[in-house]
Amino acid sequence: MSDYGDSDYDMGGSDAYSSGGDDFSYSGDEAEASSPVAKGAKKSFVVLDKEELRERLGAGVSQVVELLCISDAEATRALRFYKWDLTKLQEEWFADPEAVQVKVGLVDEQPSTRRKEEVCKICFESFSVQDMACARCKHYYCKDCWRGYIHTSIESGPFCLDLRCPDPECKAAVPRRVITAVVDAAHQERYDDFAINSFVDDQRQIVWCPAPDCQNAVMSMHDQLGVAQDIFCRCGNAFCFNCKEEAHRPVDCDTVRKWMIKNSAESENLNWILANTKPCPKCTRPIEKNQGCMHMTCSQCRHEFCWLCEGSWAEHGERTGGFYNCNRYKRAVDKGEVDEQEQRRQHARQSLERYMHYWQRWAENDTSRKRALRQMEAFKSETQELISEYTATPVSQLRFITDAWMQVVHCRRILKWTYATAFYAFADPVNATKEAKARLAQHQEFFEFNQGQAEHYLEKLHGQVEKQLNTFVRPPPSPPEGEAAAAGSEAAGPSGRDQQGWAKFREQLIGLTDVTRIHFEKLVNEFEKGLDEALKEYDVPMAQASTSAAAATAAAAAAEEAAAAKAKAAGKAPADSRRITRASKRRQGPVDQEQAAIEHEAGYWQCSHCTYANEAMDSQECELCSQPRGATR
Amino acid sequence: MSRSPTAVAQRRIQSELRDWLQHPPDGCKLVQYEDLRTWVIQLLGPESPCQPQLYTGQTFHLRILFSERYPLEPPEVTFLPPSPVHPHIYTNGHICLDILYDGHNGGWSPALTINKVALSLRSMLASNTDNRRPPGDADYCARMRGRSPKETRWEFEDDSV
Ligand SMILES: [Zn+2]
Ligand SMILES: [Zn+2]
Ligand SMILES: [Zn+2]
Ligand SMILES: [Zn+2]
Ligand SMILES: [Zn+2]
Ligand SMILES: [Zn+2]
Ligand SMILES: [Zn+2]
Repeated sequence: MSDYGDSDYDMGGSDAYSSGGDDFSYSGDEAEASSPVAKGAKKSFVVLDKEELRERLGAGVSQVVELLCISDAEATRALRFYKWDLTKLQEEWFADPEAVQVKVGLVDEQPSTRRKEEVCKICFESFSVQDMACARCKHYYCKDCWRGYIHTSIESGPFCLDLRCPDPECKAAVPRRVITAVVDAAHQERYDDFAINSFVDDQRQIVWCPAPDCQNAVMSMHDQLGVAQDIFCRCGNAFCFNCKEEAHRPVDCDTVRKWMIKNSAESENLNWILANTKPCPKCTRPIEKNQGCMHMTCSQCRHEFCWLCEGSWAEHGERTGGFYNCNRYKRAVDKGEVDEQEQRRQHARQSLERYMHYWQRWAENDTSRKRALRQMEAFKSETQELISEYTATPVSQLRFITDAWMQVVHCRRILKWTYATAFYAFADPVNATKEAKARLAQHQEFFEFNQGQAEHYLEKLHGQVEKQLNTFVRPPPSPPEGEAAAAGSEAAGPSGRDQQGWAKFREQLIGLTDVTRIHFEKLVNEFEKGLDEALKEYDVPMAQASTSAAAATAAAAAAEEAAAAKAKAAGKAPADSRRITRASKRRQGPVDQEQAAIEHEAGYWQCSHCTYANEAMDSQECELCSQPRGATR
Repeated sequence: MSRSPTAVAQRRIQSELRDWLQHPPDGCKLVQYEDLRTWVIQLLGPESPCQPQLYTGQTFHLRILFSERYPLEPPEVTFLPPSPVHPHIYTNGHICLDILYDGHNGGWSPALTINKVALSLRSMLASNTDNRRPPGDADYCARMRGRSPKETRWEFEDDSV
């Protein structure tokens, strides 16, 4: 996977993550609802384009100019010397101004010449003093020589920012007014760029966005630098502030680095997995995976299976009550007695198998994410217009589809990294006590359960936005003869039935996007909190929980109850239900006949827990989350 | 109206030549300046204020090559063989002295003149007591065969030997 790290986020100059404001803060207003990250996350970084950097730099310089009564060039130099740390500069200046002046090369103002003419010390010709310029030192040079001197310095690199008077004995800073008076526009721009680069490169809390074509910088307000922080640049690139790799929350930078090194070391072994075709597990017809979601349907025998584990898709569904299950790594059971050599071989094979398990899921999710990005771009540039036309919906109201795509991209990335981290976190502990092993197994079970749940919703969302959406990319069927005449101008619009399907699709997608976000936030938070902590909070006797899915389900249900109860006690609704309340506001109120009529009309009922639009009109249980119909939590 | 660099270089070299001929620096003699772009200066080995007298009575020859961008660009200054034995002077005549080079650690300034350069070199000889070549002299000379010292990435020491 040597191509890892190439920024696929900058395709088509996407404004995927830009959500109106510069500051990546979530005030909860609708304009920012498109972010894949949960609202309420505290503002922790700012994206700055070149103009904004220039403004900030200028503001810093002006502050020093006013405070210390020095020229702008001297202020820039002093700030550069103290790595743009105004506080430090100020402290040292007031403690010992002369020492600082010597350090940054500030000289006393010298008296101006009394003569009308001076000899330029570079070209050795005489000029009227009006046609010359000088720094505080009053060493005069003609403007042509200044230009040559400054241009040469700018051409030789960023040290032009510390430019001194040409006199070999003199340390006076060349004032900005001299620079701007003589240099041409191209050199001025380079000079300004050097200043901005220095402003970014010399400060620990500002970094450049690593996307190849992006000129933005990001300032972190995180109180702790040197740890992983996900950044979403306005160009669409998502990267880690600390290690500049792709964003990798909730995994720490070290794990990411270790994992990438491991992958390149194992690349030979991995090649065979890279093949994009697999035989259908039922009819063995080769199947190519050309979509992002893992739910495959064989075009020959219509067998539905999971791309990752090749198991039947039915076993992945909520119908069986088993939840998404193929994220779990199950070690092959040793059979019978084997000699020592065979044991070693087995062990080696197992450790490779174990790695393969995690790597394959990591890589598949990465591929999926990249494809989703491309599909999102294609949607924005091509499909959007068509859908708008066919469904008679203004483009501005199709934002929910982009939101869904972004959620998919975001979650695929998180999911991908949870596999890398699980590989390390749940490795067989060497020389561990029985209790430690049991605790680890418990952690793994808890984590995998939540990961499986999150994955389950993501697959659902991905399938919906990838496959269902396509059914709206064709013109609606024209109404039957005769009706057309009666309907008049409406004949051009979509039929009522199609409109219904569209509304349902919309409701479902919005609901799924929300639910998926909630589950991934939960997964990330638990991991960041530490699984021990997360488990304790839920106060669930996981130790007694067996490996059966039923037990895990019960545990999770209990966990949710506990969380809800805790939140209620704290006087606020749990995050989940609060969000859902917002999403389903339209459907609130007494469940009366009117409600039933609306549902009947729509052809589905919406789950009050997860907002899923259920088609089975007489079912009393949500198809997606299994909560009873009409239950309010 | 801006002047062409070549014209500036031409006039500047002419003025420096005029100054030099009127007030030549101590122990220095201009022995060649026919095409104006190449000067050869004879340097009289200075008397040292301390023992041992390494260069007394010897003469050396400095070659100065001016570029078209002089004085914004430093001249190329080398000793013609045999060069003085000195820890900052290589057998091939290349000199490790910051004022001869530009770039961020170089000390060249367009306000410097050949007069000042020649004086600096003489004092560099006068203050030396170490009768040896720079470390890696043979390797360096083999590597740099026929190339300009301006192509070298110099690291200058802080002391002014
Ligand atoms: Zn001049
Ligand atoms: Zn000066
Ligand atoms: Zn960017
Ligand atoms: Zn990182
Ligand atoms: Zn098949
Ligand atoms: Zn599976
Ligand atoms: Zn539901």
